[in-house]
Amino acid sequence: MIATNVRRLGLYLMLSFALVSGSLVWWQVVEAPALATRGDNPQVIAARRGLVRGSIFDASGQVLATSEVIDGLSRRTYTDTAFTHVIGYASHPFGTTGVERAFEDLLVGQTDPNPLRDLVNDVFDRQPEPRDVTLTIDKRLQDLAAAELGADTGAVVALDPTTGAILAMVSTPTFDATAISGDEAAARAPMEALRNDENEPLLPRASQGRYVPGSILKVFTAAAALDSGAITPETTFEDQPRQETEGFVVDGFTITEHDLGGIEPALWPLSEALQVSSNIFFAHVGLELGPDPFLSYARRFGFCAPLEIGPPERALNVSTSYVTANVDGDCSPFDGDVLLASASFGQGETVATPVQMALVAAAIAGDGVMPHPFVVRDVRAHADGDTPSETVLDSFASRGGTRVISSEAARATRSAMVDAVNGELGRVYAGQGDITLYGISNARSAGKTGTAQLGGEQAPHSWFIGFAPAEEGGEAEIAIAVLIESGGSGSDRAAPIAGRVMAEWLQLSGD
Amino acid sequence: MRITWRGVEFRLLLPILLLVPLGFVITNIALTNAFEPGPLHLALGYVALIVGAHLILVGFGHRGDQLILPAVGAMGGIGLIMLNRLPQDLAGTAAFGFELGMAATQLLWFGVGTVVMLVIAIGLRDDGILRHYKYTWAAVGIGLLAATLILGYEVNGARLWIDLGPVSVQPGEVLKIVLVIFLASYLAETRTLLTDARMRIGFLAIPPLPYFLPMLVLFGAVMLIAVALNDLGTALLFFGTFLTMLFVATGRRSYVLIGLVLFVAGAFVAYQLFGHVQLRVEVWLDPFADPLGAGFQPVRAIYAFGRGGIFGEGLGQGLVTLGGGLTIPYVHTDFIFTAVAEELGLLGAFALLGFSAVLVFRGLRIAALARDDFGGLLAVGLTASLGLQTLIIIAGNTKLIPLTGITLPFVSYGGSSVLASFMMIGLLLSISHRSAIGADTEAAK
Repeated sequence: MIATNVRRLGLYLMLSFALVSGSLVWWQVVEAPALATRGDNPQVIAARRGLVRGSIFDASGQVLATSEVIDGLSRRTYTDTAFTHVIGYASHPFGTTGVERAFEDLLVGQTDPNPLRDLVNDVFDRQPEPRDVTLTIDKRLQDLAAAELGADTGAVVALDPTTGAILAMVSTPTFDATAISGDEAAARAPMEALRNDENEPLLPRASQGRYVPGSILKVFTAAAALDSGAITPETTFEDQPRQETEGFVVDGFTITEHDLGGIEPALWPLSEALQVSSNIFFAHVGLELGPDPFLSYARRFGFCAPLEIGPPERALNVSTSYVTANVDGDCSPFDGDVLLASASFGQGETVATPVQMALVAAAIAGDGVMPHPFVVRDVRAHADGDTPSETVLDSFASRGGTRVISSEAARATRSAMVDAVNGELGRVYAGQGDITLYGISNARSAGKTGTAQLGGEQAPHSWFIGFAPAEEGGEAEIAIAVLIESGGSGSDRAAPIAGRVMAEWLQLSGD
Repeated sequence: MRITWRGVEFRLLLPILLLVPLGFVITNIALTNAFEPGPLHLALGYVALIVGAHLILVGFGHRGDQLILPAVGAMGGIGLIMLNRLPQDLAGTAAFGFELGMAATQLLWFGVGTVVMLVIAIGLRDDGILRHYKYTWAAVGIGLLAATLILGYEVNGARLWIDLGPVSVQPGEVLKIVLVIFLASYLAETRTLLTDARMRIGFLAIPPLPYFLPMLVLFGAVMLIAVALNDLGTALLFFGTFLTMLFVATGRRSYVLIGLVLFVAGAFVAYQLFGHVQLRVEVWLDPFADPLGAGFQPVRAIYAFGRGGIFGEGLGQGLVTLGGGLTIPYVHTDFIFTAVAEELGLLGAFALLGFSAVLVFRGLRIAALARDDFGGLLAVGLTASLGLQTLIIIAGNTKLIPLTGITLPFVSYGGSSVLASFMMIGLLLSISHRSAIGADTEAAK
């Protein structure tokens, strides 16, 4: 009879009911407290709809974002589209991004910067007040960088190499986040347009855009090889002059030089090789360094793992940069010498974010110490008007940095980078990043252009990384990375922008 | 015909009769902040319906199981309370010169369903019509599917509906029953042959293929069409019901094992072939990867479970709408259980699950007590179908398995679902009634 089988079936079904009950207990009891405070919880969203959000100011006290409550709905107004990708947006239907997200709880007053007061508020069930946030970015520099990028698609990232404070971080094209932050019905159409825009204005290119770095990565290759002792500033490669014209055969694959612009090949040491941006020389350097050290230095410099801007609990995320293929978010081991040689001059499978490349420049500028970047300087009491309150509740100082190479290696790299914009060959080849061209006479800059070949018909990405002032024994005040998507050669587009932004900063900061 | 008092049923119905109107009143107070009864007539209508069904069963001397109606009544009552609590313009009907909101429409369908249930439970004195015409039923099933394929229109990417003037119906709901009838009849005839597997490879008993063939062909066709209609939930339900009936008919775990292997293989192929299947699996594995896009519904459902906690937010106090839209899209159909769990908490959710479990175990009891194999297998099939449907959608809501869009029987909004579920209850009651009569006759001898 089937009765026995029915009884067995009953057992299986009972087990299924128990399993489903277990999953209910999981969400409703075990996970419930953790879910309750998450930013995309509809309850949290609903509670915040009517809350005033704190304002956001630039480093000099200019207002960048304010909010007011109209008809019970909090609406955000952003004053400067140059800041859109840093500040992000706080949108009722579309959630929060950028600083708005990282500092959400403080801006809406959900938590208090002072843990003791936070506890008191919690005990008395008191609603803490909204707080204002001040960025490390100066609006004047940010606006200049945005104006310099103009209608081009690209990014500028500048930071103080000593402290890690972000001085400018611009991505273009940008958009006005005011339109998508207010009332749901009104926000939908503009958001739809932004999502469908083929230029991807929603993408924060400075931190999330990944680009083939090209020759600017030679700065990293040089720094790593110098630090490891694989080369000295005087090292030359016997076959290099011949290979400049004939090509360098690695594993049966011929690496050819780019157009040297009429410069006669010679036996170049580091400085000259960087000035003319010799791919052949850096292919030799990379092979000399070897695949494993190359990867381990890349990791030290921040490649192969996500970067963060700001303290981990309030960080803006930066996409991972890679020197080899991306395997589950990590760099794979080098697959042969051709890829190693190509990576050494920023081709092969290398991709990098502008933030990552600015940090490489900052590490050289900072005497071998790569700073931890941050973009929010302090949290203040909420100001009603457009002037920030004097009451600073919490401030975020520099969190120092990590030594990535020795001081000697950094100095040797710096010297080669100074030559790359000021040296005899460098000026001919790529000298437009030199800040002396932009009205600064008492300081020099260091840098490196990049013209990242993309293959096919696509125009190359135009890159520049550098820093200023770059005199021996002096302290650099700004390190920078500039990228123009398919902008052509590095010296034509990126280098002049970098030069002007660095010059402007030295003037603003009173040099 | 002799009156049977059905005292157990009556006593179990009493709390429902009191609690459903109370639920309506509490909801209305919470929603309006005023001490008014609100649409209490719907609750009273529901109470009248259930009491009426009970009295008719009593009047006709029905000897069927007395726990089934209370379990169904409780589930339907919770469902009606929730549907009355949700925005009434989510669904409804405007036929016959009446404008009915969602809860009123659902009550109307409960009414139709109850009548159909009673007609089947009382009227079906002999199961010959079900048993002997199995290929007719199979043809009806294929016809229904073909009609859906040709005449159907799509809602949310799945083509499930046929428009019949004032109402739209989902033939898949009725197909469920037809398929169970066919399988019960076929398996009852051939189960000894199917069990008698002479071929073995290692420990695996190989099914005797010739006897399986007609069933497999029909079943394969149904599955293929269900997949073609992009109705994965129904396909999964059919398959689960099929395996369950096969297991009970043959008692062979190896058949179920083979079935499961086939299912995994099929699921893998579907995953490789169809973009929407891949998307669904990805969303299941990590809904928070795209919380505002593909993961919107599951993420919102998870938060609703969290808000509910152990004791719930209270009737009328959940976060059903947000910024002019529903917090969870399709909360009245696919996610009704989530709404219950949010407002009535883990306790309410367990209660609902418990009523479903009562229904399932009484259904299995009916199967075990059935007078013949056909009745037993039919009861197993109906019970498995109702139980699995409940488990699949709730497990989908809690992210235990990928979400598939099927209804929660007796709770979700939807006429076809309500009607089909009541038909199945009618069949269960009729089997149960005949067993009781049969047992009496035997005792009298």
